[in-house]
Amino acid sequence: MTKHLWERLLEAKSRLDPVQSKYRVVFEDPATPDEPAKVLVPDPNWMAAALAGDILPPIDTYQRDRDVPDGQPKEHPYAEPIGPMTEEEAIEYLIMKDICPSVWRDYKGNRTIMRIVPVELIPTDRSFRNAWRLAA
Amino acid sequence: MSTLNVSNITDGTTTVGTSYVVNGSAKAWVNSTQVGTHTARDSLNVSSLTDLGTGRTEITFSSAMNNDDWAGSFYTTASSLETSINFANDYAGGFGDKTTTTVRTYSYTASAAVDSAIHDVIIFGDLA
Repeated sequence: MTKHLWERLLEAKSRLDPVQSKYRVVFEDPATPDEPAKVLVPDPNWMAAALAGDILPPIDTYQRDRDVPDGQPKEHPYAEPIGPMTEEEAIEYLIMKDICPSVWRDYKGNRTIMRIVPVELIPTDRSFRNAWRLAA
Repeated sequence: MSTLNVSNITDGTTTVGTSYVVNGSAKAWVNSTQVGTHTARDSLNVSSLTDLGTGRTEITFSSAMNNDDWAGSFYTTASSLETSINFANDYAGGFGDKTTTTVRTYSYTASAAVDSAIHDVIIFGDLA
């Protein structure tokens, strides 16, 4: 029987070194057009699990679980884990898991509202970043 | 890896059910900074941090909670320094939106949101 995802993450943390990703995902949310661009940062322990494989569930289980009401059994905790991913594949997985589909799937506008960038391209100057918009 | 399958744990005097230990464990936690670009120093059951703006962060869990009635604790230095310099009630932070998969945090000084060098969150509750 497949162990619960939380147990697999706990076990993975005890044996895998964390991996700080060299990527960030910058995106704008069409639902909040007045807010600054957001920056998604992969968690180092999660990235280590993604690269190692046999820990994380298939991404489609998370997507189906979006429609499951609170308190009802979810599919992703006990789904059969998938194999290792490259860092680039892990970032794509994370986008589909942690960013609203209105950004990466449903947006039909002609502006770019999401971009995967190397971490060194993220400005550390907050006063500038709070007014940030993605260039076309 | 071997598994110990027991219903109770005892020290010879006091006996408690294993469920007390499992249910009493933190289901997610993260020690991170909001300064510069957000970075998690260490964590459990967190897949990402999203920088939403000054002092504002969204934490996403890898393994979802059963409902949004989970309990949590949040510590912030309310300062870009790692030392705990702000103790007055004016310096605080709190949770924003809570869901089964995410929690938003807000760090404040006396007058405005601020990026905190120490931004720690602990989540207790039932997993999905």
